[in-house]
Amino acid sequence: MAKIIACYKWVTDEADIRINSEGSIDFSKAKGKISDYDKNAIEAAMQAAQSIGASAVALTFGTAKAKLSLKDALTRGPAESFWVCSESAEKADGAATAKVLAEAVKKIGDYRLIICAEGASDTYARQVGPRIAARLDLPCITSVRGFEIQGDVITATRKLDNRTEVVKAGLPALISVLPEVNEAPIPGLKAVLDAGKKRSTEFKLQDIGLTDADVAPRTEVRDFKAYIMNRKNIIISADTNADKVKELVANLRKDGVI
Amino acid sequence: MSKDYAYDAIIIGAGPAGIACAYTLAKNGKSTLVIERGNTPGSKNVTGGRLYTYALDMVDEGLAAEAALERKVTHEQIIILDGNRSISIDYHDPSFNSECKSPQSYTILRAVFDEWFANKAVELGATVACGIKVDGLIEKNGQVVGVVAGEDNIYAGIVIAADGVNSLIAQKAGLISDIKPHAVGVGVKEVILLPSVTIESRFNLKKDEGASCLMLGCTEGIHGGGFLYTNRESISLGCVFVVDELAGHGRQVHDIFQELKMHPTIYPLIEGGETVEYGAHLVSEAGYREFPKKPYKDGLLVIGDSAGFVISTGYSLRGIDLAMVSGIAAARAIIAEKDPVRVGPVYMNELEKNLLMPTMKAVDGYYDILEIPRIYSSYPKLAAGLFEKLFTVDGKVPRSMKKEIRGLIKQNGLSAWQLIKDGFRGVKSI
Amino acid sequence: MPGIFVYADTVEACASLISAAYGSARGVCALTFDEKRADELGGYGADKVFLLKGDNPMQESYAKAIAALLAKEGPEVFLVGSSTTGREIAAKVAMYLDCGLVGDISSLAFEGGKTITTRYIYGGAAIQTEVLDGYAVVTVPKGKFEARKYEGKTSDVITLKVESDNRVTLKETIPLEKDSKDLGAANIVVCIGMGFDKKEDMKIAEDLGRVLGATIGCTRGIVEERHWLPAGSYIGISGTTVKPSMYISLGVSGQIQHVVGIRDSKIIVAVNSNANAPIFMAADYGIVGDMYEIIPLLTEAIRDVKV
Repeated sequence: MAKIIACYKWVTDEADIRINSEGSIDFSKAKGKISDYDKNAIEAAMQAAQSIGASAVALTFGTAKAKLSLKDALTRGPAESFWVCSESAEKADGAATAKVLAEAVKKIGDYRLIICAEGASDTYARQVGPRIAARLDLPCITSVRGFEIQGDVITATRKLDNRTEVVKAGLPALISVLPEVNEAPIPGLKAVLDAGKKRSTEFKLQDIGLTDADVAPRTEVRDFKAYIMNRKNIIISADTNADKVKELVANLRKDGVI
Repeated sequence: MSKDYAYDAIIIGAGPAGIACAYTLAKNGKSTLVIERGNTPGSKNVTGGRLYTYALDMVDEGLAAEAALERKVTHEQIIILDGNRSISIDYHDPSFNSECKSPQSYTILRAVFDEWFANKAVELGATVACGIKVDGLIEKNGQVVGVVAGEDNIYAGIVIAADGVNSLIAQKAGLISDIKPHAVGVGVKEVILLPSVTIESRFNLKKDEGASCLMLGCTEGIHGGGFLYTNRESISLGCVFVVDELAGHGRQVHDIFQELKMHPTIYPLIEGGETVEYGAHLVSEAGYREFPKKPYKDGLLVIGDSAGFVISTGYSLRGIDLAMVSGIAAARAIIAEKDPVRVGPVYMNELEKNLLMPTMKAVDGYYDILEIPRIYSSYPKLAAGLFEKLFTVDGKVPRSMKKEIRGLIKQNGLSAWQLIKDGFRGVKSI
Repeated sequence: MPGIFVYADTVEACASLISAAYGSARGVCALTFDEKRADELGGYGADKVFLLKGDNPMQESYAKAIAALLAKEGPEVFLVGSSTTGREIAAKVAMYLDCGLVGDISSLAFEGGKTITTRYIYGGAAIQTEVLDGYAVVTVPKGKFEARKYEGKTSDVITLKVESDNRVTLKETIPLEKDSKDLGAANIVVCIGMGFDKKEDMKIAEDLGRVLGATIGCTRGIVEERHWLPAGSYIGISGTTVKPSMYISLGVSGQIQHVVGIRDSKIIVAVNSNANAPIFMAADYGIVGDMYEIIPLLTEAIRDVKV
């Protein structure tokens, strides 16, 4: 059966990261999660697959930690999952990630549509989708807020900075979707149980014809630190709400904003 | 696309009760499904976190040795608060820290412990499905045969309700009534991060040693109390209030709790820490007297907090160990008795055999003491006042202690007769 | 004359990129599709302007042609204005040239042949500094650098016919509803969070907005879960970024993805019933309490001040 491939990323849950007082970041308590926006990409693949009678599959590139993601991804509906496992994913930039995903897509084969989220919730770099399209020489539609497929043609609505566009492309194609493209449902019990029975395939880099050198990042990270907010952080603590409001307004007047 | 699923047992709730049950069933070859509402086991929990390890070893010999635990409790503390004053009692027994010495208890972080425990059950073959809310039970001719979750029906030989205090499942099955406001408390808890060396120096602990502390007089006279547990790199600090008394009180739990944090005795213990978790939750306060007459019906067993297996004596709080023991009892009953209609009485028998019911009965008298309203306000005041007199030296001729006490009793709106009565009630109850 | 190439989908954005590149003491070459205004770019400091000509109205379709031009000219850095169109072109060009891309930077510097960028990650909780050793693509958010005019400076405009990829075709263009354009430029923003229980309750926030002359924004949940306001109204990393003189959040918890969209506000005010809400760490002034009581009081107090 022809496939719709949803790409997703297993990211550190930013809600769990701790900022130390000197500005360093503590990841030791942080758990992983499927990037929030990728849940919409997977759901988009499910809907697309249903509309054209194809099979939705999930694809990720990650370190050994990403193994945890497979069941979660499958719970969201895809028939099977593919995982390119390499420790190089830890430092991979958009260039490396797109290469790996593009080569994995070729290996999976028989695809009609590739769906990425616009960006991942950790880096939100917004480059992997179009990069994959460029490498596979596929028509590419970014910033998609809605789409439908009829026959071999996809019609998509794109959100641009000052306008909306309706565009068409022939399949196979790649789209990158905005979170507003759908509402990713919370998986039900049977979906969770089904996921345990589905197939997951693991690729190593050499399985998809790449070497470690191919996936060396093109950008060098020199420094990485917490963003320290420089705000007054005054909690107004008068006795009554009326007094609190009074004090706030006085402060705002002093600051000249009202 | 989905297949139909059927299990020997479905357990609702992946807390200590549910997992202890699942572990035992899976180890004995029963196909077991655990359904958990939170996204991970323990994620919806605000229990302070202390575990008596005998229960883990009852689940499986040696399990306690590899469990995800925090600190071994060697300091048992009781702090009585009144205004800015406090009286601390610290029972320190370093031998609690020696190997094989019983009793042993550890502080735990539920999010960490429950996930570890659930994974142990999964290793034995149990299935744990998280992020799923069970909406109801499927009954056939008065017998529970499965559960409904959203649009999905899943069938099982037996269903075990381990969904915690105020169990929705036990209510749906008609085994317990709706919340009884005097039998449930509302608990608030914060987890406050601190470096382990700071915790060790503030509580006078050796590495890996921990303190457990209960607080009285921090609830503005409401039936309830505070608790503090030292974890490896954090402190769990919380407060519990009985719901029906809170309702008439007019102050928010959150505000009373914030004042506890700022108390001159408590604040230095948590100073500089970062609050990383805050939660409010119902907790069971019930004890044996609120225990349902029948924690089972055909095809359904109720375990853990859902059945009210908690003990609060005023000097210790137990729940997690009792929950596990009840889960083991349920599992053993299911293994021994194939007929889901007859498994209930076997479960009751197991509860007697593994000493859970006798324990519940034995400590039930403490609830009489804890129901004396004076415990939460007048007595802490009286005690603090007494110590104040004891330790105040001002160069004047000291008054006789007898007179001082009499004065304090009067000052706190008490009478000698009441004290004698409460004392008598106390002795009788324990 | 390689150096820095710049491209943006408007002349204004392009001019801002030229000024960013100008400090590098390397030649600046601008790419544009704007036939009428291509010659203005010289006045903004471009040493050379390529006017690209083709029949496809979607500038994305020329990514391959732009990559080919860059490959031929061999610039060190390609700066692209971060619009939807610009990001797509940048990503494709980076792939065709097999080079690094740093997107939506918050600062940019050139140090001895290297390009140093910083950008937010983890929804804005952290800031990452990256070093690009030559040959790289960088996208720059709108308004990051101020365009400057240089009196009397002009440059050659070289017209190039470029080929497009016509596999994606434009069927229709719909101008965006006015709301979201206003939000990004608003001087005062009142933001509605998930603390509101009912849609009707938003009225008290709107009343406050009215006395302040504010534009109403909201968090992502209000748009995507509750559907109370149109998609253009939400503020945050995947929505609109605001830079008002005052931003007032009402019942907003302050998730980092939201906070990153309000950081450029001059004064941030937060009202929330939960003292532990992260929004207070991002705020100048916070009031902890029942917003249903506080908001009408605040509306009254501001009305009194304004009279």
